Amino acid sequence: MLQFLEFCSFELKFRFKSVSTWVYFAIWFTFAFLCVASENFGPVSFGQGKVLLNGPFANTFNDVGAALFGIIIVAAIFGTSMLRDFQRDTYQILFTKPFSKFAYLGGRWIGSFVTTVFAFSGLLFGAFAGTFAPWADHTRIGPNHLWAYLQPFLFVTAVQIFFIGSAFFAVAALTRKTFIVYLQGVALFMLYVIGITVFSATRSLERFWSGILDPIGFILIDDITRYWTVVEKNTLYVTWSPALANGIFLYNRLLWIGVGLLSLAACWALFPVSVEALTARSQSRRAAKAKQQELDEVRPVRSLTSARLPVIQQVFGSGATITQFLSLTRLRLRNILRDIPFWAIVALLLAFGINNGHYAGRVADRNVWPVTYLVLQAVEGSATLFLYIVAALYTAELLWRERDTHFDGIHDAMPIAESTDWLSRLTAVLAIETILLFFTMLVGIFMQTIAGYYHYEIGQYLKELYLVTFPQIVTFTLLAFFVQTIVSNKFLGHGIIIGLFVLMPILFNFGWENTLYLIGQVPAYTYSDMNGYGHFAAPLFWAIVYWLSIAALLAVVAVAYARRGAEDSLRARTRLALARAPRLAPLAALFLLSALGCGSWYYYNAHVLNEYRNAKIRRDIQADYERQFKKYENALQPKVTAVDASVNIYPGRRSFDGSVRLTLENKLSQPIDRIYLTDQRQSVSDVRLDRPSHLLSSAARNIFSIYALDRPLAPGEGMLLTCNIGHQSRGFRDGDEPPEFAYNGTFFDSDYGPYLGYNRIIELTDPRRRREEHLPPLEEMANRGDPAHSLNNIFPHDSDWITYHTVVSTSSDQVALAPGYLQRSWSAGGRHYFEYSMGSTHVLDFYSFLSARYQVRKETYHSSHGDVALEIYYSPGHAYDLDDMLASTRAGLDYYQRVFSPYQFHQFRILEFPRYRNFAQSFANTVPYSENMGFIARLDKPTDIDFTYFVTAHELGHQWWAHQLIGADVQGSNMLSESLAEYSALQVMAHKYGRDNMHRYLRHELDSYLRGRGAELRHEPPLALVQQESYVWYQKGGQILYTLADYIGEDKLDLALHNFLMQYRYANANNQVDAGENTIASRPALASNLDKPYPDTRMLVDAIRAQTPPELQYMVDDGFNRIVLYDNKALSATSQKTGDGKYKVTLQVQARKVQADGNGNESPMPLGDYIEIGVFKGKKDEEQPLYIEKEKLTRDRQTFTIVVNEPPTRAGIDPYNKLIDRISDDNMIDVSKQ
Amino acid sequence: MALTIVGLSKTYPNGVKALNDITLSIGNNMFGLLGPNGAGKSTLMRTIATLQDPDAGSISLDGINVLKHKKEVRKILGYLPQEFGVYPKISALDLLDHLAVLKGVASASERKSIVEALLHQTNLWDARKKAVATYSNGMRQRFGIAQALLANPRLIIVDEPTAGLDPAERNRFLNLLSSIGRDRTVILSTHIVDDVRQLCPRMAIIASGQLLLEGAPLEVIAALHGHIWSKIATTDDELRALEAEFQILSTYLIGGQHAVRIYSESDPGQGFRAVDSSLEDVYFLQLSRDRKPLPVN
Repeated sequence: MLQFLEFCSFELKFRFKSVSTWVYFAIWFTFAFLCVASENFGPVSFGQGKVLLNGPFANTFNDVGAALFGIIIVAAIFGTSMLRDFQRDTYQILFTKPFSKFAYLGGRWIGSFVTTVFAFSGLLFGAFAGTFAPWADHTRIGPNHLWAYLQPFLFVTAVQIFFIGSAFFAVAALTRKTFIVYLQGVALFMLYVIGITVFSATRSLERFWSGILDPIGFILIDDITRYWTVVEKNTLYVTWSPALANGIFLYNRLLWIGVGLLSLAACWALFPVSVEALTARSQSRRAAKAKQQELDEVRPVRSLTSARLPVIQQVFGSGATITQFLSLTRLRLRNILRDIPFWAIVALLLAFGINNGHYAGRVADRNVWPVTYLVLQAVEGSATLFLYIVAALYTAELLWRERDTHFDGIHDAMPIAESTDWLSRLTAVLAIETILLFFTMLVGIFMQTIAGYYHYEIGQYLKELYLVTFPQIVTFTLLAFFVQTIVSNKFLGHGIIIGLFVLMPILFNFGWENTLYLIGQVPAYTYSDMNGYGHFAAPLFWAIVYWLSIAALLAVVAVAYARRGAEDSLRARTRLALARAPRLAPLAALFLLSALGCGSWYYYNAHVLNEYRNAKIRRDIQADYERQFKKYENALQPKVTAVDASVNIYPGRRSFDGSVRLTLENKLSQPIDRIYLTDQRQSVSDVRLDRPSHLLSSAARNIFSIYALDRPLAPGEGMLLTCNIGHQSRGFRDGDEPPEFAYNGTFFDSDYGPYLGYNRIIELTDPRRRREEHLPPLEEMANRGDPAHSLNNIFPHDSDWITYHTVVSTSSDQVALAPGYLQRSWSAGGRHYFEYSMGSTHVLDFYSFLSARYQVRKETYHSSHGDVALEIYYSPGHAYDLDDMLASTRAGLDYYQRVFSPYQFHQFRILEFPRYRNFAQSFANTVPYSENMGFIARLDKPTDIDFTYFVTAHELGHQWWAHQLIGADVQGSNMLSESLAEYSALQVMAHKYGRDNMHRYLRHELDSYLRGRGAELRHEPPLALVQQESYVWYQKGGQILYTLADYIGEDKLDLALHNFLMQYRYANANNQVDAGENTIASRPALASNLDKPYPDTRMLVDAIRAQTPPELQYMVDDGFNRIVLYDNKALSATSQKTGDGKYKVTLQVQARKVQADGNGNESPMPLGDYIEIGVFKGKKDEEQPLYIEKEKLTRDRQTFTIVVNEPPTRAGIDPYNKLIDRISDDNMIDVSKQ
Repeated sequence: MALTIVGLSKTYPNGVKALNDITLSIGNNMFGLLGPNGAGKSTLMRTIATLQDPDAGSISLDGINVLKHKKEVRKILGYLPQEFGVYPKISALDLLDHLAVLKGVASASERKSIVEALLHQTNLWDARKKAVATYSNGMRQRFGIAQALLANPRLIIVDEPTAGLDPAERNRFLNLLSSIGRDRTVILSTHIVDDVRQLCPRMAIIASGQLLLEGAPLEVIAALHGHIWSKIATTDDELRALEAEFQILSTYLIGGQHAVRIYSESDPGQGFRAVDSSLEDVYFLQLSRDRKPLPVN
């Protein structure tokens, strides 16, 4: 025991004297401190809106992160404690002493464990200290509870240290090789990361084994907390309780503690405590080596006198320099290529490339074609880290190689120039990088081939890898050369380089976004099949050359400071550098000039030609707008009722100009004497009103102007507003390029025109950003029935239904599009003109302009309501999904016209735009559709979810839900367009794929909803009161309506929607006509043409209620007016064969229902609900129903006896997850035989 | 070929005076640099080998300013540092070929011939394809010599080449050195007196960075002729007494008894008998003079 204590205290003393222990502590302290003290740092701070930064969830999550990145620290402490004796050869002394195995291993292990726990305790102290940072967001810092820190630390970190540490300890003890210990650490880390990639790419919904088997905890914690609301995250702990998420945390901890114990047992059993056994192999190796040397030695000595050495000629000159350079380079390449770790890195690079390449672009079960940009993104993304590691590692290795091997005495006295020597090192590293990049390309092409995609774009690979990435690696390598030359210690050098690497994104997050001082950074760019590198090419080029020049300049300094000879003092080296300076000066001057030139040009573009705005400045502008002008929000304004626009797009200059003429009408009962104009994009100029008026005030960036009308606009009176609109792209910006303007793929919409009044859309919505700007909480939307807001519609608040006409022109090689029917097109002055008009059909005041080089697919849809021209404008090569889109459109038109109302237009167009933005958006009869959203989707397996089909049906649905019926500017109205479009698309989808298959898709919808509410920043509203919450209006809305249709009948719900639509569509449209010019909604004479309220969700709920039988009325309340969650669970199921060859199934189920408030506080609700009870045959996940009925459940637990004809395998409650249930995978259970 | 060193001084940042106003001139033969560990030998060697700059002084080699025109010196230099390692996993053949390229032997055939000749010369031919890093100490030292002789250097600097060699190896090595050192300037630093005696027509002794003596070994030995006396001290007490009285140059054990050698102009009596002076006596006498002024003389 004494010995044990001795070993233990020795280990501790040794550890606490060593700087590394304190460095580890400091790393975790800083990490945890920043996680709390800065909202721009750490995994919880930004991803998890309202979660307390020092609450149990945040601490747990940070501890899990530390567990992953801490693997290497655990390896370093536990591994080296065992290896130390063997590295320093003290084992010979040690193991001749009498001591017990327990004392040795136990002492070392305990010592390492305590040290590691101490190092990681930096997390506790750091987080605690962070709560006192005066600049931190104190609304997200709760009172400090010791347990909130300790609990996660004990249950996550300490357990993690125990089992990972024990595993490393055992491996170190049994192999006694440093390399293997580190390899083990790296391998565990990498395998885990690969595992996570696979798990998230396949978006598995498996939530039991994935959690238990997770050795680090990211998936485990996600499995447990993914649906936790803010309240739960701030109060609940992840505990051992078997009741918590099926006990996966308990089982996980037990499993891995078991692994730790097993490791220790193996270590104890297999570790030999004798020098002989420990060194048997190395002894015999050493003996063999000595023997061999002896053999070499006894060769006969040839002659004692010298033979004459041959006469040779020494040649020095440029030719010889090249020969020297080549020989040095060859030697150094060989150094790298014969290094085992190098090949380990290559193997990892390939493994990651293959893995990521396999999942390229696949998100959420959506299969896509592995187009080159997606594959490149995947394989290059995973390779980049390794490329930088190789650059940093081998730069240092090659720079220090002569010193490390003590060859410097010979090497440095060779007649070679420092620059030759130095360039050969650089060349060797870069040659290796070139090869690795080539491997990366091969992996990409290989993975494309495997995936059956043969459209190889070698040019794109070469451009991306060798013109964009490679120069950045060169820059990084040169910087590494500089740092390693100046710094006197290789590891310090590595520390500085890694530090710089890590620091840049952190600085960026803190608002230091300027490329000119973020070392080695280039502005973010996106490759698009439509637009190539497009406008990103210029800033990318100049930033790359700028940093390359700076790095080269530093590299010249490094050459001057190159170590040669014996002296290391900075003074001596400076003297040496000055002596070398004259020869290097011209080169340095060249690079300096280049850096200054590129830097100035970049500055001129980003800061002089354009106003430089980082994210914070942009937010300041938004906040200022709100502070200054919100007071005008309810000012009386006329409504826009007609728009005539003339727009000239100049794709080559990424600009447009033009003018709009708005017809305004006073639809209020009071006269209006002011016109307020918001110009959010600084794109409006030369405003002219057709009546005497004067500009009263305007604001910075022209964002808000007030015009006084000399003669007020009387109720019912109209006027014209004409102005110029335009956008001039000048040079390039430092990031923040407007994505609307592209050489091929211009797409901008009506927000480049003037907006009447104060535009609430501009307000900051994120509560954290609002606090940062000292703004009060975001104002809630108006209540339903609010007299003023009900007069405006939810979408463009400043207008009613409009008539629309435009002439749009573009360059001669492109097609320009806007909503409306093409009236004529012509060429003039080398430009291409198009005139579009909606005729007298009234549409929402929401229009877009697009221009690109398109290919067109056309077909005509015939129906009793008239023909519809279907057109898809797509980028050549993106023809994969056209049939799918058209099929969806046809199916949608069939369905919607049959159950809702006739389509109001006679065309429907889908227009592709570059993937700078990732959405599809429904304008009147025109849907701009991102190249990333559809166009490359792939369906080969029956399980592939046809997302393109769904999105197309959704956007088509908006032609009814938005473009026929639009709600008032009050709470809930967003669901009238989004949830109803979502529901419509679900039905179209169900008709194609069958009800039973919808289950698979809906499970993802449910998952998204539950996750969405967990990440809510403000408060979750019930569906009928939704404001900004897209997870409510898409995922929850779709689910509620789809389930309701299932319960009350699809025809009933569709009838309700039809009735609602027919009663409230085209509210406030002056005189609406349909596609056949028949008047379908008209208003009385102009004199009494005052706005009436737009509809809201009360009317929808009433319409649905009217079609819902009395016993299901509760579903309408639960679905629309409350947040209701079920906790349904199958408890047991047994079956018994009956005498007549049937099977009697006894099923016990649990059913609970709670109501949640906006923050997630739950209260139980009485049960009286109809829930499906089912018995199935077939395997799990391939069940086929034998019996399924909706039963009324009134008690917490209920038992059902069901007789079926075939042998049952599975049974359960709500088996198709039609109800919102947080644990959706415990609804079914295996049927056991009796 | 003549190397002239004038007033060379070097103080390290930690205050150690490694070289203190050294002035030397070295001709076209083998020159031994003798001194204890830490005397400044290596500093001097490195300075001549262009690996270090002095604080003051100059070195010229046939009119080349060594401190300024380092590259010119490096072209004709062969340097064997006191300690050296090699790149791992590279054979003697490949490494010599590489170094030959660096030394400007541009023709591949010339390179082949000189590398092979040197491998034969240093007796490494049979082991030429083995990685140098796995060589024994003696073999590695011979490899060091081989690389120093690449491209027929006119100035050869070998720093403590015999350190760590066993006697047989040392012999072989000295033979090799002497055979090549005849028609060029070879500077050999060592703390082993015998090395110098056996090899060098001229020599210098330095200690604490100072030049104590320069001359031909035979001459400096002759200068002490008749001034070296020896006696066997039978007990420790006797030895202690002698120590107090005389400037003891050296003692060595013969059959467990101390043989004591002292320097004295005249017969010190007390049973001392005159012995032949040796280079070792010169060396120890110079070192002791360096340490403190002699009471006599």
